[in-house]
Amino acid sequence: MQLINIKLSVVTTLAIIASNALHAENYVSVEFLQYDENDNRVSVSAPTLSASYDIGTDYTVKADFVHDAVSGATPVWQSDTASGASKRDDSGDYVYKNQEFKEARNAGSIMLTTRFANRDELYTGIDVSRESDFDSKSLSAEYMHYTDKSHNQSINIGASFAYNEILAYDYDTGSGASNKETATSINIQGGMTQVLNDHASAKADAFVIIDDGYLTNPHATVVRNYGTAEQMLVTENRPDKRTAYGVNLKYITMLGEDLSYQANYRFYTDDWDINSHTIDNDLLYAMNDDLTFGLGLRYYTQTEASFYNANKDFFNDEEFASSDVRLSSFDALTYKASVDYKINDDISYNLGAEFYSQSTGLDASMITTGLKYKF
Amino acid sequence: MIKLTAITIMAFSMMGCSMVKEVKPWEKETLARPIMQFGGIHPEVTKFESHTYFSKEASRGGSGVAGGGCGCN
Repeated sequence: MQLINIKLSVVTTLAIIASNALHAENYVSVEFLQYDENDNRVSVSAPTLSASYDIGTDYTVKADFVHDAVSGATPVWQSDTASGASKRDDSGDYVYKNQEFKEARNAGSIMLTTRFANRDELYTGIDVSRESDFDSKSLSAEYMHYTDKSHNQSINIGASFAYNEILAYDYDTGSGASNKETATSINIQGGMTQVLNDHASAKADAFVIIDDGYLTNPHATVVRNYGTAEQMLVTENRPDKRTAYGVNLKYITMLGEDLSYQANYRFYTDDWDINSHTIDNDLLYAMNDDLTFGLGLRYYTQTEASFYNANKDFFNDEEFASSDVRLSSFDALTYKASVDYKINDDISYNLGAEFYSQSTGLDASMITTGLKYKF
Repeated sequence: MIKLTAITIMAFSMMGCSMVKEVKPWEKETLARPIMQFGGIHPEVTKFESHTYFSKEASRGGSGVAGGGCGCN
């Protein structure tokens, strides 16, 4: 009897390790993103290099690097009499129109996964991002603990700390001077994953995000005291604290032998009065061992920030003011399609297309293509 | 936050009572398939998507704690 128990225990352990190891694989992948907005607005070209490497069965190191080349224009309030878009002119009228810009961003991250004897996992990571006027450094850690022997249920808790440095231009005086501002962000998330049956799982997480510091967009402007002798165009001003809460619920199931369906719902609320709901649906169809098709539909809706207004004759002496359309009330839909083709056992190719449409009038397309080499 | 967490755990517990069936490790072949992973078959593409939404929308969070800031928002 004891021998049978030992054998069963060994079989169970091997099966658990095998089920965990099915996706443990070394790879190098190259992805390219091309993002384009309508109305000649923002275009982004972003090549990414990613790699993942297992060190034995207890450690996995994953790293990626991305270079974003951003160009185009974004709408802000401007003087319609100024010959230079960056020069303040309070004598005339104002128009909300595109202002051209060019930016490059380099970002890298490295994450170490550590697996313990009971197969609990600890993820630790570093993220760094650098632009000409924005630097960010972030540390993160997350622990995942299996609560049962069959690994059908796990709980996770994690936190990250980000330190951001922002170059804020002194637009208000028109002197062209700039000064360095800072902001921090703490993100805490905890949740649970549950295997529901042999073909469905669910995951639920709650999160809190605390932003503190310079949260204003230094490139966004508002008009104050419009139509009076004191009218002026100034940099927007946002509160220097923001606390957000939310929940994220995920469910994945097989609908047929080779068709999976995933549903995500996220609720978000913060003390800037922004509430949002996100519903994301994805279908993946594995036509055969080599070819997988994907279709998705995402719906997003948000309420506007308490200090947002799009009009030039709204703001007077309010402390906080923004006309950044991203803080407005809007809905958005994303339509997604993808194909993944396994060229051979080691190399696979993927192509994806997405169309994003906001009720603000913003439309954007996103094409991703890449190669992954497993070894 | 506490309320949200409590509601989430309660909902999950209730769901657990009614829907959960114990699955043995050797019965997880379907669950282990690439098309059954929460992160999708290409996590790098999911990261692109998240970054796009982060730069165009006013809310974020819920998809893990890793990830750095960006001047795009």
